[in-house]
Parts: sequence; structure tokens; C-alpha cells
Amino acid sequence: MNKGKLLAGLDAGHINTKAIIMRGQEILGDCTVPTGFDVVNAAQTALNDAAESAGISMGELGGIIATGIFKDMMKVPPLSATTTVHEYMADAKGALFLNKNSRTVIDIGGNIHKAVCYDQNGDLVDVVQNDKCADGLGIFYTTMGKALELSEQEMSELALKSTKNLSIAIQCALSAQSDAIDLICQGRDIADVADAISKFIAERVADMSTYMSLTKEIVVAGGLAKSQVLIKHLSSLLNQDLSVLKPPEYVGAIGAVISYEGER
Amino acid sequence: MSENVSVDEQLDWKKAKVIAVGVDSGAVSSKAAILLDGQPYAFSQIRTRTPKESASGAINAALAKTDLKLENIQNIVATGRGRDQVPFAHETLSEIACGAAGAVNIWGPSVRTVLDIGGESCKVIHCTEKGRATDFLWNDKCAAGIGRYMETFADLVQKEVTEIGNIALQSDHFPKLSDFCSVYAQSEALDLIQSDVSVEQVIAAYHNAMAKRISTLVARFGMEKNFVIIGGLARNPGIIHWLESILEVNRLAPKPEWDPTLTTALGAAVFADAFYRRQQSDTSTAAGVDQALST
Repeated sequence: MNKGKLLAGLDAGHINTKAIIMRGQEILGDCTVPTGFDVVNAAQTALNDAAESAGISMGELGGIIATGIFKDMMKVPPLSATTTVHEYMADAKGALFLNKNSRTVIDIGGNIHKAVCYDQNGDLVDVVQNDKCADGLGIFYTTMGKALELSEQEMSELALKSTKNLSIAIQCALSAQSDAIDLICQGRDIADVADAISKFIAERVADMSTYMSLTKEIVVAGGLAKSQVLIKHLSSLLNQDLSVLKPPEYVGAIGAVISYEGER
Repeated sequence: MSENVSVDEQLDWKKAKVIAVGVDSGAVSSKAAILLDGQPYAFSQIRTRTPKESASGAINAALAKTDLKLENIQNIVATGRGRDQVPFAHETLSEIACGAAGAVNIWGPSVRTVLDIGGESCKVIHCTEKGRATDFLWNDKCAAGIGRYMETFADLVQKEVTEIGNIALQSDHFPKLSDFCSVYAQSEALDLIQSDVSVEQVIAAYHNAMAKRISTLVARFGMEKNFVIIGGLARNPGIIHWLESILEVNRLAPKPEWDPTLTTALGAAVFADAFYRRQQSDTSTAAGVDQALST
């Protein structure tokens, strides 16, 4: 492994584009930018700001490794990524790098969520991804935060104080939104509604996870992993201990770099 | 929180015999309408996180701007999804009844079908020339949330929700998105980011899909002319364009002086006024209300 080479990991997701700057095993800088409708522009911004936070210039970068749903758009100029790594592989490598004992990572992203099992080398063993009806959980979470005029962090903190066990839809984010709004219109406590929202997301992720046996230790990645209440519900539904990777939203980007390092 | 208040300064509430208020406490925002002897006087719209807060906010904003006090008001009718959360309301009525009454009050007795596209729900209402709702169809669950999803969609494409309706009109050709489910449509729209489809085309595609979704409700329920559209999405030219083109019918042109978002609140105020008059004249029959509504 070339310890001296500076590499950038770029995870171009549906909702957010994440960039990380690494030298060997060391994380030097990061940045997250909303993808919007201009993926390339978002990627460039994320990359520039990540380089700035790492205190390096773009010219010093020894390579850009892209992953995420829009990774193929990174291959061409202006970004001209060195190579691309599949999201599943990036998740596995990144999770193993951040937690050596982990064998399963559950990644809860803005539009899709997935679980990836891997061996001690970070090679894939099994993978499961949500069905289309469960798309958009992260978007839903953000939308509900806006509706409740709470940040995602506040929503989680408030939900942890919930005393009532309310439930919303069992199927999709659309009916969940409709049910949550109904609860609000009935004058229910915001904390209980926030809890129901988080539990709904946990249920959808847990449902997906039943299609695969989850090897221990299980770790969680993706922006939604920051919600403590969500992790609490998911852990209880799966009846498993879960630990959240740090930083959860950069697991894919880090994994892309680690995966490339391992190839060489 | 956002706030919007308008007052007709030509009128003086101190000269009014009957001051009636309608409050439409919706899933996204609350709207209040004040009538002076049946004449539109003040309107407000407030958006906060709960119906209780926004309903109080809406009435307080209107009162503050007019120097009216709650005790000056003869009757207050609450409607909308959060109508049971309006502490100061004297009576509550469904948004179906109020939507029809409001639409006929604005567009006149020729209205027979009212399409109400709100933040969370969407409904088709049939009504009489006096604005009495005779029948309605509420959206099925898969067609819920079109208004709020439109806002989320605007955020995702990084445009203002007030401008995407016009952007949607810029493209004639665009890919088809799922027009049954908003979750599918949203997800498919995001996947289009990596194709060579422009953001304008994706916005057009999304509006087309949502208009198609709404049109199935109207088509299933049946439509008799004249046809009007009320609710927040009535201000979205993209949705209106595709709705009219799919349904092959034109709505009655919007009244420039009326914000269609306020229609149901106006209807509630019309009822508040009518109920109060009925009480005063002591006629407790339905005909009494009809009579009061038509005066």
C-alpha cells in the first residue's frame, strides 16, 4: 500500500454526493453536497470542499475513486475518475475498514437502503436491497422533519422522549406521510409522531433484512444512521445489537478508496 | 412558519351587522376568511407544524391586521383535516361542504364539479347551484400527499415550488413516469438524473404523472360542467395544463382577485354567516340555510 498517495473517494448518491480525502488509512477531509439535478457539479463542489477541508490542492490528488448510483457519470471529464467501485463493494470495504469485526452493514440512504454481508477480507457474501415500494425513506424523513419544523437531530431527540406507541403505515413512505399528517391533525404529541415516523422507517429496513441472514457484527451506515431513535427501533426489531459506523454517511466513499487501495 | 394576510381596506367592520369567520385548518397550512355581512373582508394563511398552532396563527394574524377582537365575531366555522383542533371555533363542517360553498360563492351557480387539490388530499365534489355538496370522491391512499410531494420534488431538483409549475410547461417531450404511485414517480425521476434528459423535462414528466393521477379520480367520479379547481395546486400551471388536456375540459378561469387556496375557508365563512342568520331568523330548516346561502 502506498502510504503517501492522496486519494479521493466520491459517493454520488440519489440525494447527496459525498467526497472524502484519504492518505492510506488516514481520513483527511470530507464534504457532503446535495446532488440536486446536476450530479457532476455537485461532485466537483464536494470534491473541492473536501480537498479544502483536508488542506490540499486538487492537483495533489493521486486519483478519484467513484461509487454510488451515479458513479458512471464520474468516469468522464471533467471528473475523469480513476475507476469506479460498485456500491455494495464500497459499503463492505468501508464498513470493514471502520469496524474490523463487522460482517454485515445496513446502509440507509436517501432513496434506497440495502444490507451487505461480507467476509473478513471484505469480499461480498450476500446482498439485499429494498423493493421499490420502500424507496425514498430518507427523503420522507427529511420531509417530515420539515413538516414538524425540526432538524433531523431534534426529531430523533424528541422521539426518544415519546411515551406513546403510535404506528403509521406498513407499506410505503407516501401512506406513512399521510398517516403521520393524520396524527398531527388529531393533535397528537409531536414527540409521539416523530417516534412513529422513525419506527416506520426501522420497520421497512427490518422487513428488507429478513430476506438475508445477518452475520454478526452488524453495523449501520448512511445518513439516517445518525438518528439514534431509528437505530433503537431497528435494533429492537432485528433483535440484534447494532453499532453505527463513524462517519456513517461516508462509508461508501471511504470504501471506494479502500477497495482501490486493496486492488493495487 | 410563513404568513400571508390581506384586508379590503374599503370596508369597515364597525359598520357590519354580521361578522362571520371561516377557518380551514389544513394538513399543510391554515387559512382564515372574514366576511362582513357576507362581503369578503380579510384573508390570512399561516403555515406551522400543527393545525392547532396554524389555525390560531391564521385568525390572530387577521385580527391583528383589522383590529377586530374575537368577541366581535358572531360565528366561527372550522373546516379542514385539523378542524377538531381549532379551539375557538363555534361549529365544524367538512371541507367537502365548505369547498363546494366557497367555489359557488366565487364562480357562481353554474359550478357543478369542484376539484380540490390540497397539500395532503385531493377530492372531487359535485354540487348544486346553491353550493350544496351532493356527492364527493376522496383520493385513494395511493393518490395522497400530491401537494406535499410536489414541494419535496421541488427541493430535490433544487427549484422553488412556485416556479416548477411554469418550468413544467417548457417541455412537450419527456419520458413517462409511473402515474399511479408518487413514491415510484419520485424515485424514477431521480433515476433520470443520469440520463440525457434535462431537468425541465423531468419536471414536466413529474407534473404530467401527477396530473394523470389526479385525472383518474375525476374520470372515475364523473364530471359535469362547469368545472373548477381549488386548493393550493390550482396555482400550479403545469398541473392545470396537463389536467385540462387529459380530461379534455377547461376549468372556469380563475378569478384574478381570488387565491384558490382560500376557497374552502371562504366556504366555511359563508356557512358561518348563513348559520348565524338562520339562528337570528329562527328558521331551523335546511331551506333556511339555502335561503341564507343564496342571499
